Amino acid sequence: MPQDLAEIYRTTYRALVRFLYRKVWDAERAEDLAQEAFARAVVHKPDNARGWLFIVAANMARDDARRAARERRHLTLLKAEPQASEPAAADDALHAESERTHVRAALEQLTPRDREVLLLWDSGLSYEEIAAQTGLARGAIGTTLARARRRLVDVYEAGQRGEHVARG
Amino acid sequence: MSMSHVDDGMLHAYLDGELAPVDARGVDAHVAQCPDCRRRLDEERALIARATELLALATPPDRQVPPFRAGDVKAPTRVWWRVRLPLAWAATVALALGIGSYLGREAAPAPQAEMATDSAAARARSLARREFRPEARGTVGTPAVAAPGSAAVSPAPGGARADNIARPRPEPVESKAEGERPRELAAKIAAYKAASDERDAWQKGDAISLDSARHVLGGDPVVVPGVPVEAFYLGRGVGYSAVVIVQQALDSSTMIEVINARPGSLLLDQVVVSGAAAVRPDSGRPTESRQLVPKSAPQPLRAAVQASPNLFRDVRGPLSPDSLAALRRRLRPLGP
Repeated sequence: MPQDLAEIYRTTYRALVRFLYRKVWDAERAEDLAQEAFARAVVHKPDNARGWLFIVAANMARDDARRAARERRHLTLLKAEPQASEPAAADDALHAESERTHVRAALEQLTPRDREVLLLWDSGLSYEEIAAQTGLARGAIGTTLARARRRLVDVYEAGQRGEHVARG
Repeated sequence: MSMSHVDDGMLHAYLDGELAPVDARGVDAHVAQCPDCRRRLDEERALIARATELLALATPPDRQVPPFRAGDVKAPTRVWWRVRLPLAWAATVALALGIGSYLGREAAPAPQAEMATDSAAARARSLARREFRPEARGTVGTPAVAAPGSAAVSPAPGGARADNIARPRPEPVESKAEGERPRELAAKIAAYKAASDERDAWQKGDAISLDSARHVLGGDPVVVPGVPVEAFYLGRGVGYSAVVIVQQALDSSTMIEVINARPGSLLLDQVVVSGAAAVRPDSGRPTESRQLVPKSAPQPLRAAVQASPNLFRDVRGPLSPDSLAALRRRLRPLGP
């Protein structure tokens, strides 16, 4: 196995899982897809492996989204793997879950392109790499990110306010 | 720069550290003397921090990064197809060429009989089923490829087998347009290929003992721990030199199969070279070309087997993809 790919795996695996998670919203699925992306990289030996991995991952996530709805209807027999969640942590977990849902809802209010740029930046890609991957001009990345960040925060805060109003 | 204000995109690029040094210095200079832009810079910095914070909320539960070993990574099915399709193609084409050229040679005095290629293609299909497939059982890997060449072009002309092929009706075939034959042949080959692909995915053979399974794989087969093992089977797959299928019973009605496959180091160019050499038995050195097949291919194969115990593993069964994926992650070598 190429040495540099092992290094990229070490440094990028988590970022790739996070990137995928924000697309498929299923931790296990995200890990599977990340593993598969790396398995493909082993075969293809791409030049810019990091950028390549995110492109492949984005494509797989898109394909996966189409299948996901169909698959979820099936009984997932062995889904309940041993999980290290103590009962005491259940409250925290619930809270985290609800916040996740809100961020997800906010992310989904972004245009696909803005969302992609934001997620790629958050995965550690440079403007240069993001430009290469999205086909945007390098000079447009800052503007896109500015818009995406503002929209994310605005929608999220608006959602929180709405909820408090509804509760109060 | 100091005259015009800094736009949002530039501010974000600046804060992200993605502005070229000369542009960054321009922003510095402008912000130093423009209170408005200084305020905006602080706002945007807070915005970026907030967005990053929100994104951090949308992260999957932190798990350990699984170790990355080439043999460990679940090989995606598409890789398998990519390896297998060219092999199937090469074998099929070599087979068709072999029969075609043999017939052509036999029928040289009677030019009309050359048109029999069509029925030859049909023969090729049935011949392929009889000769090619059983041999592909893949104990060493190469026979799968050697078979079509040697069977179709057995250099003893007029033998029983040759009769078998050559006899097919010297019936007058109406002459067809020149381009028609290759196209029909290609269609037949494609049909055969599609059919064989369907059937070929990890064909299950005879039941074997655990010891035999170990022997075949050169180590312990992987299984899903804690699930009763029903039986071991010898399997086969093109491109793999050894395949063991472990049948395990999840419950009384659900059976899964764990596939352990040792990749053969069979390269496509080896396939083409050995096939091409065998296709021309009248090239004057029949013995040499026949030796080429057994000698050149298996030798590197053995070496590779010892060097890389990396197995391809997969789980199949009547379960959802998620469940199968979960099972795949649990695979462990079977202990003593």
